[in-house]
Amino acid sequence: MIPALVVAATVAALVVAALGGLSTVLRRRTGLAHLVAAGVLQLVLLVQLAFVLVGLALGERPPETATFLAYLFSVVLVPVAGVLWSRSEPTRWAGTVLAVAGLVVAVMVWRLLQLWEATGA
Amino acid sequence: MPDRLGAPATGPADGSTSTGPGRVLVALYGTFALAAGARAAVQLATQFDEAPLAYLLSAFSAVVYLVATVGLARGGRSGRRTAVVACLVELVGVLVVGTLSLADRQAFPDATVWSGFGQGYGFIPLVLPLLGLLWLRHLRELDRDAESDRDAEPGPDGAAERERPS
Repeated sequence: MIPALVVAATVAALVVAALGGLSTVLRRRTGLAHLVAAGVLQLVLLVQLAFVLVGLALGERPPETATFLAYLFSVVLVPVAGVLWSRSEPTRWAGTVLAVAGLVVAVMVWRLLQLWEATGA
Repeated sequence: MPDRLGAPATGPADGSTSTGPGRVLVALYGTFALAAGARAAVQLATQFDEAPLAYLLSAFSAVVYLVATVGLARGGRSGRRTAVVACLVELVGVLVVGTLSLADRQAFPDATVWSGFGQGYGFIPLVLPLLGLLWLRHLRELDRDAESDRDAEPGPDGAAERERPS
């Protein structure tokens, strides 16, 4: 895993969360800005996933492999789920749902990095 | 481009958990159902012998979160009643397990979602059931207001008569 990408994903995730919160405050649904931010986040996560898969293919193994893989594949789904859910929500809480997804991603990428860098005891 | 931040939202939700602020709770509960469930599955599958109590508790908490998620998502009277029970179980669970995990570390060599009052998860497990119960109480009050409104102005076809609980 590349720490710079983790930082990039965190920033993108926090931007998604902030935009989501802003929509709720402004009593709006989610719009183009949210889609773009979530798209950028998704792109960073997919690039990260590609690097990790290459690393795994080259024989690198985090100690808690099962947990790591569960985080690795579910984190990619969170922005998609958040966007789909927020777009189907007609009230101003659509943005907050997306913000929750953003914060979940921000936490998950750091946990992922932690699992990757942990050395087997 | 006036709608870059989204079109104006529709009015306040009618007090169901399937839309409006209740959706945020459903999202949070869903996340925790998934997180606790995945964690329990991995722990039970790979290292059950190390700390059976902790891992079974993880699995139990996952089930409770799932029940609460489904109850909140479905809404309606039965869904909400289910959610209230799940939230109460959760609150008791996080308080009891939180206390025990600090008092008797031997029994909890490995952490669960509820250990240390949900410390490993930013104390969200402690706040979530309280938020859930407050929200559900708010919905009940909305219901009661709606009911007394109906009593004051019975509909022309007597719909209010039929809906009023005996």
